[in-house]
Amino acid sequence: MTELLQQTLDGLSAGLIYGILALALSVVFQGTGMLNFAQGEMATLSAFVTLVFLQFGMPFWAVLPIVIVLSALGGALIERTVVRPLERSGELPLLTLGVALLLGINAMMAIIWGTNSRPFPSPFGQGVVTSLGLRMTYQQLGSLITLLAVLTVTILVFNRTSIGLRLRAVAQNPDSATLLGQHRGKWLMIGWGIAAAVGAFAALVAAPVLTLSPGMMTFPLLLALAAATLGGLTSRVGAVVGGLIVGVSNSLAGRYIPGLDGDLAIVVPFVITAIVVVIKPAGIFGKARTVRV
Amino acid sequence: MTGTLLRIEGLTARYGTVQVLHGVDLEIGSDEIVALLGPNGAGKTTLLRALSRVVSSRGRMVFDGTDISSWSGARTATSGVGHVPEGRGTFVDLTVDENLRLGALARPRELKSTAGADLDMVYETFPVLQDMRRRTAGLLSGGQQQMLAVGRALMARPRLLLIDEPSLGLAPIVTRQLFDVLAQIRRRWSVSLLIAEQNARLSLEIADRAVVLAKGQVAVSGSAEELGYGDAVRRAYLGVANDEEGGKGAGR
Repeated sequence: MTELLQQTLDGLSAGLIYGILALALSVVFQGTGMLNFAQGEMATLSAFVTLVFLQFGMPFWAVLPIVIVLSALGGALIERTVVRPLERSGELPLLTLGVALLLGINAMMAIIWGTNSRPFPSPFGQGVVTSLGLRMTYQQLGSLITLLAVLTVTILVFNRTSIGLRLRAVAQNPDSATLLGQHRGKWLMIGWGIAAAVGAFAALVAAPVLTLSPGMMTFPLLLALAAATLGGLTSRVGAVVGGLIVGVSNSLAGRYIPGLDGDLAIVVPFVITAIVVVIKPAGIFGKARTVRV
Repeated sequence: MTGTLLRIEGLTARYGTVQVLHGVDLEIGSDEIVALLGPNGAGKTTLLRALSRVVSSRGRMVFDGTDISSWSGARTATSGVGHVPEGRGTFVDLTVDENLRLGALARPRELKSTAGADLDMVYETFPVLQDMRRRTAGLLSGGQQQMLAVGRALMARPRLLLIDEPSLGLAPIVTRQLFDVLAQIRRRWSVSLLIAEQNARLSLEIADRAVVLAKGQVAVSGSAEELGYGDAVRRAYLGVANDEEGGKGAGR
């Protein structure tokens, strides 16, 4: 029983990273209708920038706000410069753009920092918490708390503030929002900024475990895509719940399904995703629009 | 009419190579209700969209003494021109309350503090919306969504409210109720209305004046009484001539 709980806990820790990344994907998708394949690389870039600051001797918690703000500005800049010209040209060009950004940012990081993995210090220190027979490293516990805080803040911003209201309005009915004085472009740009900032957190808590390299978030991004599909790309809550399901099922399958130990366990979340999509194409929380006319 | 609120001269607009408006002149007074009539394709929607600056156009447009012809859609919306779009523009996943709060975001800065009182006034004007304030707007009936669209636009405290085909898809009795409310809001909200409608009879009942648009130009304009009985409207708009040819009349 304890082992099952432990496996679940480990799965939740990993799943929250996928969930936060999926949340970023969902924010961009709802606004721009684009699956931003580069979301993971953008987050990795944030982690590299953090490392640069750390190497100057700045403490992590002082660097964090700077990097989050820089990430948001970077996300907004990408929307403004390369996404906006294609925004109205349909899904395929946007999909292509996502791949181009993915490869471009990845290559840029490889040129600047090389492809070798670098150690990334854990901001939470070394150590283990043990309670009720369950153990968590400080890193795991700190990540969990950080990501839950990010999640809470993001959801509050979207559901309780006028910024969130405008973002949702522009995402949902841009023409009607314009008639209410909302600049579509401005709010899409802000949405990209928020997504980049949220994504940065995922990379920052993943880096100490995965070690930092340009391809660090490529695999988590695949899982985040599965998570967003599973939970529903149109639902922010769905994205996070999808991430948790992916994380836990991956962790449990690796331990309990014979023959699926190690990396092969990863097929399980994808199988679950496939089954869910067959039953409910928009994902668990995704909405097929209901409108009465 | 106590003064001119909006004056447009020689307004032209095109979509790509298709010219829709061919030099429209129009005036709307303060607290006036003007019905904009005309068959499908006459350019009614385009005229309203040009006034909201979401369709590019040429010609002079003076609103409250200021030339707005070079303004952006967002600026126009926050400067006193409200627009209830064709199809109601509902934010279907947001609640009724959130839809109305969105409207309040377009208020001129000096009126931000009175949004709460206006929200109460919207609920007073449309009691059914208050009962549904926590509901997702997509689940409202067509008539309720139309009321929501009007309420949302009013929350921005417009001086001029453009309403595009409010009766579209509504049952006659619901349309009737809606027009009764529209007739009242001009005084309660001190707003002028420009209502683009196919339902000429109902529009002429509540309007002071009517302008009939045909093929992108003003075909006839005059007081609602004159037009209500005049032959000109029937020919230009009500579709009498079409009926004789066996076609379907646009008006009811």
